[in-house]
Amino acid sequence: MRFSDKVGMAWSSLWKRKLRSLLTILGVMIGVASIVTMMALGEGMNRQSMEMIEEYGGLRTVEVREGNNQTAKNASSGADNAASDPTKLKLTDNTIKTIQEMGHVEQVYPTLEFQAVMQSGGYRLGIYGGQAIPLEVLRDMKWEFADGGWPNKGDELKFVFGNMVIQDFEDSRGNAVYWNTGRVADVDLMKSKMFTVFDTEAYYASQNSGDGGRTAEAGDDLEGADGEAPGAATATPAPKKYMIPTAGVLAGSLEDYKEYSWSVYCDLEALEKMYKKVFKGKAIPGQPVKKNGKPYPELFYSKLSVIVDDVENVEAIQKEIGDMGYQASSNSEWIAQAKEQSRSTQALLGGIGAVSLIVAAIGIANTMMMSIYERTKEIGVMKVLGCGLFDIQQLFLIEAGMIGFGGGVTGLSLSVLVCLIINKITGAMTAVIPFWMYFAAVVFAIIVSMLAGFAPSKRAMSLSALEAIRNN
Amino acid sequence: MNGSVISGKNIYKIFKLGEERVAALNGVSMEVKRGEFVAIVGTSGSGKSTLLNMLAGLDKPTKGEIIIAGQHIEKMSEGELVKFRRDHVGFIFQAYDLLPQLNAIENVALPLSFKGMNKSRRTKEAMHALKQVGLEKYMRHRPTEMSGGQQQRVGIARALVVRPEIIFADEPTGNLDTKTTISVLHLLQEVVHEAGNTLVMVTHDNNLASYADRRLHILDGEVVYED
Repeated sequence: MRFSDKVGMAWSSLWKRKLRSLLTILGVMIGVASIVTMMALGEGMNRQSMEMIEEYGGLRTVEVREGNNQTAKNASSGADNAASDPTKLKLTDNTIKTIQEMGHVEQVYPTLEFQAVMQSGGYRLGIYGGQAIPLEVLRDMKWEFADGGWPNKGDELKFVFGNMVIQDFEDSRGNAVYWNTGRVADVDLMKSKMFTVFDTEAYYASQNSGDGGRTAEAGDDLEGADGEAPGAATATPAPKKYMIPTAGVLAGSLEDYKEYSWSVYCDLEALEKMYKKVFKGKAIPGQPVKKNGKPYPELFYSKLSVIVDDVENVEAIQKEIGDMGYQASSNSEWIAQAKEQSRSTQALLGGIGAVSLIVAAIGIANTMMMSIYERTKEIGVMKVLGCGLFDIQQLFLIEAGMIGFGGGVTGLSLSVLVCLIINKITGAMTAVIPFWMYFAAVVFAIIVSMLAGFAPSKRAMSLSALEAIRNN
Repeated sequence: MNGSVISGKNIYKIFKLGEERVAALNGVSMEVKRGEFVAIVGTSGSGKSTLLNMLAGLDKPTKGEIIIAGQHIEKMSEGELVKFRRDHVGFIFQAYDLLPQLNAIENVALPLSFKGMNKSRRTKEAMHALKQVGLEKYMRHRPTEMSGGQQQRVGIARALVVRPEIIFADEPTGNLDTKTTISVLHLLQEVVHEAGNTLVMVTHDNNLASYADRRLHILDGEVVYED
């Protein structure tokens, strides 16, 4: 018997019992819809947690910081005693080169964290973890600006502020403005004149050695722009101030947290130039010094960001770098944990949905069984007329498969609708049906239905033709 | 052309009813020649239907040989019997047993679809068979839209369409009124004599049996006489 004929026969007998077929399909439909919707909810949760991780510094980034004796000891290979050469595990351009040569590494860029104090009007801002990053890398972040933009290559040093930095300003007494008053400091980051001190150690020393510093701020005359601060009478002279223009402010409201919100950014190259001008052979705060107290000729980076080609390789790269004696960290453990959690959530939700599909499957088996009792005669006649045994079995399996197909497709449509409604109500991608699920749901429904139809089909096959035609 | 199409030798069929053994067939031997119309006549419980089932390969004898179209069917497995029936045997049922969801053409074409014949060819064959039984006008009707006589003609067409070596008919007129019975029997005669088929019919009615070329009278599982 041809396959197309079997499909036709199966179709006509389903059609003959329209209402019953429809009710059976309805059962499968609800089963499929509940599984798919539940899985979609799980998937939505998964994606949201991944997005959160992405916001907290990326899924594919390994952060590398300089190694110390402890990390060197933990390293399984290489990394001789760091004490013999204190610069061995520092982060330099050579380190970048070494990491870049590892497989699966897409990009490595350095960050130099800087400190500074800024003054504007009666307000003061202490910058502790300012981020100096190569300009090309900053541009690649594709961040949006509320005002201004990135500086140009080769420009003098300019700052870019995160959208929440303004909350950090203190008044002249050292009280946080925003946190105490709820209003932000009266500073226009783009337009106000701001004086920046890079030698923070000297600055705070001068502040503590008398109230000279404070009077300096109170005076706040423009002459201070590029000259000595007025309070220089005390033992520690106040360091030089520089006027550093603002290149831009990043987009976002005061409550709108982004990865950049609390940071001040600048071009690494421009900062290095500035440092040379400011410190001229003196030790830069935060940078190591030789035993004799002299600075090293080069700057050591605070951290390297290693972008790995695939999330799957993050852990391996992290381990490899760690083995070299550096401190390497990434979100991989968090990702693994989040994945594990969403897997179990998804399994739980899918399991709840599966219950209704099992009920539907029992419904199919029941319907098929009834149908066979009803059609005992018909099956017998077909056998007498020479219909092959396996053809009969297949007829019933195809019927069951068609019920599964119908239920699968309608159930899928229903769950798409339900997911749309859920997303509309929650206003987020709470339920996401992954692409593969569209196929899997239908195939799964067909398979479950055919399994449910298997026992009845076996029974139909083994019906005695003689018995069947005898009971008139 | 006059060789035996059916040859039964010493056919026994013994049913176990609890402890008791009941012989439905008690050593029947018989032959049917090609192109013959043979009636098996007997009262109910005489074993005539059991004999027909044996000959048609629907049931296996307890003992004995059945050779149909040159093949021993008593040794065949169920799967082989299905294939044998599909290729060599046509069937006419007392209650017509047409599939209600199919129209006349589709019903007649059904056995051809079991053979795997394509749709256009089996429709052509089915239409030809329906013309043979005089149902040109009812080809697209469903069984529920036809009279009993018309339905049985569809049943006959369904048996003819496979061009079987033998057609078996179990009380083919059992559900029909007298007038229709006669016309159906005439049709069966025609089918045998003009189209050259072999027909074995089971009936309890001597009058109906008189339409056959030869009659085997069966009683208590034995052929008592033939005429």
